[in-house]
Amino acid sequence: MQFDLTILGPYLGFLGQGAVLTAVICLLSLAGAVVLGMLVAIARTSQTAWIRRLAFIYVDVFRNIPFIVQLFFFYYGLPEIGIYIDAITTGVIALSIAGGAYASDAIRSGILAIDNGILEAAEVSGLSKRITFTRIVLPIALRTSVRPLGSVLINMILTSSILSTITVNELTGQAKIVASDTFRPFEVYAVLLVVYAALTWLVSIGISHLHKHLNRDLASEAA
Amino acid sequence: MRYSDFTTYDLLLLAQGLGVTIGLFLVTSLIGLVIGVLWGVVRFYRIPLLTPLITFIAELLKNSPVLVQLFLVFFGFPAFFHLNVTPVQAAVVTLSANTAAFIYVIAVSAIESVGREQIDAARAFGLSRWQILRHVIAPQAAAFSIGPLTALLVNQLQVTSLISVIGVMDLAKIGATLNLRTLKPFIVWAVVGLLYYLTAKLIAAVGARYETRLRRFSEFRGL
Repeated sequence: MQFDLTILGPYLGFLGQGAVLTAVICLLSLAGAVVLGMLVAIARTSQTAWIRRLAFIYVDVFRNIPFIVQLFFFYYGLPEIGIYIDAITTGVIALSIAGGAYASDAIRSGILAIDNGILEAAEVSGLSKRITFTRIVLPIALRTSVRPLGSVLINMILTSSILSTITVNELTGQAKIVASDTFRPFEVYAVLLVVYAALTWLVSIGISHLHKHLNRDLASEAA
Repeated sequence: MRYSDFTTYDLLLLAQGLGVTIGLFLVTSLIGLVIGVLWGVVRFYRIPLLTPLITFIAELLKNSPVLVQLFLVFFGFPAFFHLNVTPVQAAVVTLSANTAAFIYVIAVSAIESVGREQIDAARAFGLSRWQILRHVIAPQAAAFSIGPLTALLVNQLQVTSLISVIGVMDLAKIGATLNLRTLKPFIVWAVVGLLYYLTAKLIAAVGARYETRLRRFSEFRGL
């Protein structure tokens, strides 16, 4: 059989729709993961032992259970307790929760890397704990953890393909339809592989630019 | 009428699924380890053409969803090359290649972690490139890489759950079957998740044991 990419021509728009849905899902999930990750990172650096332990259990559990199992747990489980939401929302929730576990680690290390002198300076300036956290600790921690958060996003783009198993027609889901439409699975999935690789590559370039831009004051130290 | 209660036979099913998961995990990790280390050695010898090719393949495998790789092998290869590919074969090929790509990265950084001056010293003693690799680099690289390797393997265990999508009767697939029969998603997926969690913890514990053993010799023992 010939390797013929022209058969994909008529489906480009269709695949584009899938790519847009993938992008939307990933951005929503990233937002969810960063918010959740921030809360969990705060909990993990808390001075109260049981809060720390609770946050650790969350991270440990969601990092050590396959995403597909988590996804099915939510997808089949939520209707059981009377929560009826569509597959896309379920996917975004599952991705946010799983991504939150990874994001919290990134943000936590950003928090732990903050110089004690900065916190002491905030304390002697009479700033309250809450203000110190929201105005000083979090901005610094988020800025230094741009790179690890970027790899969370890249992982999320790759993981979002699993949503195709719960009927979400993102990029992989659309490609499945195209493959069964054209009977040319090899071409479709080969192209899809390259598209995902190119997409994550572009994202990683964007992230290192963002990292450089946000940390430009520290350029001499980071070098 | 459907039989929707749990039976003791379900435990056997779960054990069987766990066996398939662990078996495939071990086999693909081993193949991946061999291929990945071989790729690392090829890079060490700076073989022209082969080195950039391997780097390219590894990048492609690392930056695309495993699900798409699985579809390419399971649906694409049979259609394009007129082969018969069983789900288990597709799973072994895909997971091995995917693991190899990540192990290649670990192998490269492990080889590079050994200081330049040691290699220069070894060369000054007249050791061949192979002797340097075997007796100077390998022992130190093994100790260096065991940490990242454990993290990778814990991750690869979770990746194995994706093969359930192409119909391999692994733990996740057994979970899906039980879920459909009993319609008790919370119990089924919680149990399946727990089994994955415990297996992941087991891998991490084994990795930690090996790490202390391999690192024992690199610690300063006093005068």
